[in-house]
Amino acid sequence: MVTTTESLTAGPDLSGIRASPRGIKPTPSYRVFTAINIVVLCLVGAVTLYPFLNLLARSFSSESAIRGGEVFVWPVGFNTTTLLSVIDQKLFWINYGNTVVYTVVATVIAMVLTTTFAYVLSKSHLKGRGLLIGLALFTMFFSGGLIPNYMLIVELGFKNTIWAIVLPQAINVFNLLIMKSFFENFPTELEEAAAIDGLTTYGIFLRVVLPLSRAVIATMVLFYAVAFWNSWFPAFLYMDKPELYPVTVFLRNIIAGATGTGEGLSDAAVQIGANVKAVTTVLTVLPIVCLYPFIQKYFVSGVMLGSVKG
Amino acid sequence: MKFPLKPFAIGATAVLALGLASCSGDGGSGDDGGSGEIDADHSVGAMEDFGVGDTFVATEPVEFGLMYRDHPNYPLKQDWSILQHLKDDHNVSFDIQSVPLADFGQKRSLLISSGEAADMIPSTYTADVANLTSGGALLKVSDYLEYLPNFQDKVEKWGLQADLDRTRDADGDFYVLPGLLEIAKPDYTIAIRADLWEEAGLEDPATWDEFTEQLKVIQEKFPELSYPYTERTWSAAGVALPATLQAASGNFGTEAGWGYGDGVTWNGSEFEFSGAQDGYRDMITYFHGLIEDGLLDPEGLTQDEDTAKAKFTTGKVAAISTNSQETTGYRQGLAESGLDDAVVRNIVVPAGPAGNIMDATTGGRFESGIAISAKAADKPYFKAMLQYIDWLYFSDEGLEFARWGVEGETFEGQGADRKLLPGIDWNGVNPDAGDNPKLLNTDFGYYNGVWSLAHGSTAEELGMMVSEETANFRTEMNAEKEIADGGPAVPLDALQREEVAITQTNLEDLVMTATSQFLRGDRPLSEWDAYVEELRAAGMDEYVATINEAAGTAS
Repeated sequence: MVTTTESLTAGPDLSGIRASPRGIKPTPSYRVFTAINIVVLCLVGAVTLYPFLNLLARSFSSESAIRGGEVFVWPVGFNTTTLLSVIDQKLFWINYGNTVVYTVVATVIAMVLTTTFAYVLSKSHLKGRGLLIGLALFTMFFSGGLIPNYMLIVELGFKNTIWAIVLPQAINVFNLLIMKSFFENFPTELEEAAAIDGLTTYGIFLRVVLPLSRAVIATMVLFYAVAFWNSWFPAFLYMDKPELYPVTVFLRNIIAGATGTGEGLSDAAVQIGANVKAVTTVLTVLPIVCLYPFIQKYFVSGVMLGSVKG
Repeated sequence: MKFPLKPFAIGATAVLALGLASCSGDGGSGDDGGSGEIDADHSVGAMEDFGVGDTFVATEPVEFGLMYRDHPNYPLKQDWSILQHLKDDHNVSFDIQSVPLADFGQKRSLLISSGEAADMIPSTYTADVANLTSGGALLKVSDYLEYLPNFQDKVEKWGLQADLDRTRDADGDFYVLPGLLEIAKPDYTIAIRADLWEEAGLEDPATWDEFTEQLKVIQEKFPELSYPYTERTWSAAGVALPATLQAASGNFGTEAGWGYGDGVTWNGSEFEFSGAQDGYRDMITYFHGLIEDGLLDPEGLTQDEDTAKAKFTTGKVAAISTNSQETTGYRQGLAESGLDDAVVRNIVVPAGPAGNIMDATTGGRFESGIAISAKAADKPYFKAMLQYIDWLYFSDEGLEFARWGVEGETFEGQGADRKLLPGIDWNGVNPDAGDNPKLLNTDFGYYNGVWSLAHGSTAEELGMMVSEETANFRTEMNAEKEIADGGPAVPLDALQREEVAITQTNLEDLVMTATSQFLRGDRPLSEWDAYVEELRAAGMDEYVATINEAAGTAS
């Protein structure tokens, strides 16, 4: 048992268990720990990275190499037949443009609605708060079903418009709850101080709370943007015109064409059939992969802020 | 966080109330009483006299709603020749409801269920919409056959009345006009390395037993092969050898694999449960025997398509399940692997203990067809639309137009001498296509399942625009084999259908699982009787009794 004085002045000897700062010689057990750590993390990294590299390699490999199982992380029999056949199509670019528009508009709408709703729900003095939360939660567990939803969208006149895609999905209850928890843990002193300085509720929200919530906002933007980027089902349901599809529906259809009945196959079809999935996956994830590093630093802290204190 | 129960209760009550309220509303739309008479108000654009041999030309321009299954290999183009000709020569244009080929079935069901489907719904099999007919959103097309002279003519000429009657429901109605075939269009069989067969002094096997003997010879003569014969799974896990079992099943007097259908086989006097038939056991025993003898690659039961293909195209096996299209792929693969001397041939499916028979599904002469929305009957152009459907999908002239295009523009010649013009191709059938040809479907819109249901229909058409090999295969199969009698119609009413649905699924799961187990040897065939008992426990006897009762063949 260490005495109080000693612990105050010197503190317990932590060199054995804590990461050693420069200059202090690490113990052998710590070295082993570090070595195992590095090996395990490298393995985890490889396991995570390999499928992606393999996908990339496949998308540029020849049909026979793919069939023969020769492709690992480097393209074998380099060719771009499938890639060119996909990006040669005018519709691909129209649909890609749609995806960008849908994602941006949907994310903006979703962020406005989710942030404001979550902020309101975080105020415990709000009358009817329980009901509002209940309504939101209700939609998490129950829905009208496919056909009633479809008829609703049609009756609202949303069919074949961007609204069919961006409005029904605008509030994701899970994201809403994360944000609500975040706002609940926001120091009330800051808001009180702002109120004393003369800010209205909107002023507090816009000029104090939001600027200090960048981490959670960035996380939510990422969540929403990725979800809308990858989404195909609402567009598939509510759009009757190919020029309105997002690129996901387009690519999904290409895969179906390449792996389906094979009606009207061209000469390149065999090659396309072999790696169309790889090519389309690469084309779809590429923008998100490029975007991710810029948001990632907010991402970790944002999710932790919200979820842990729920 | 405290879970708020009260709001939930309020919300749930409200939703329930709303739901009930909407249920009590108008439930039956599109009921036309089934009179089948079309009055003048619904005859805009229709021809006075329209019969077999007449070309349909609307008397004034009409626009029909069309659910269009958009195939990515030939995406819809507004300037397609087929659309131009239909508009200029036949006064017909379309309000297109485009649905991507991927998940076409799902959206079709949704659109029909919600009453939002377009007037015409092509690329549809009877079974696709069997569960959607009770909603009243589909037209009882059987009430309007008098407006479809070409359809009736072909059904009668080609002896398809019994098959058509089999698609009727308990009320005697049917909702889909199937694409019609003059002769059956079998496609699945086994491809062999004909060069190895020849080297071993063998000819194509006439029976499955002979096939076994030949595989033994091949195995001995070519020890470098890892197995003489492999299989590909073709479909999601759960169904072993679906294509080959279907192809073989008729010869064993049963139905299996993709041809399993509702799980009953007609024995000439009543329906029997296929999965419990002696023929089914014999067939399983046969294929299990091939595995046991090391002739059939055991991985063939589980491996994915690519693995199976790789084995064949790299020369590790000498036989593999196939269809005409796959065989083309095998040839390319072999050439790429440098096996230039390899010759691939599709054999005629060998005969079996029950005879030389195509199962009823393989021998079936219905293709994907066309359904019509009930609300189309309220449209002023209803009669004209039926005439258009009859002409395009069922008249000789319409069939040729939808498949070949227009003489002088896309093809030349008459009858069996027709050929595509130079510079135009479809699937490599035109030797004069030259480099970079225009494609019949992609660039002109012809040979498109939306406007050409059966891709051929007549025996003459079926023999054209396919490779000689495919044409020969079809001819030989049709010439050598009988087609199994599918038995009488089984018109289950809605209640019966619901009753048997779960039993049917359970039984099918049992059969498919046991089939794989028996084939692999995970379960010895000595347990066959125990397996049949399991089927009984799952309601096999009751199921078969219901079917026989509905068919009027209950004993």
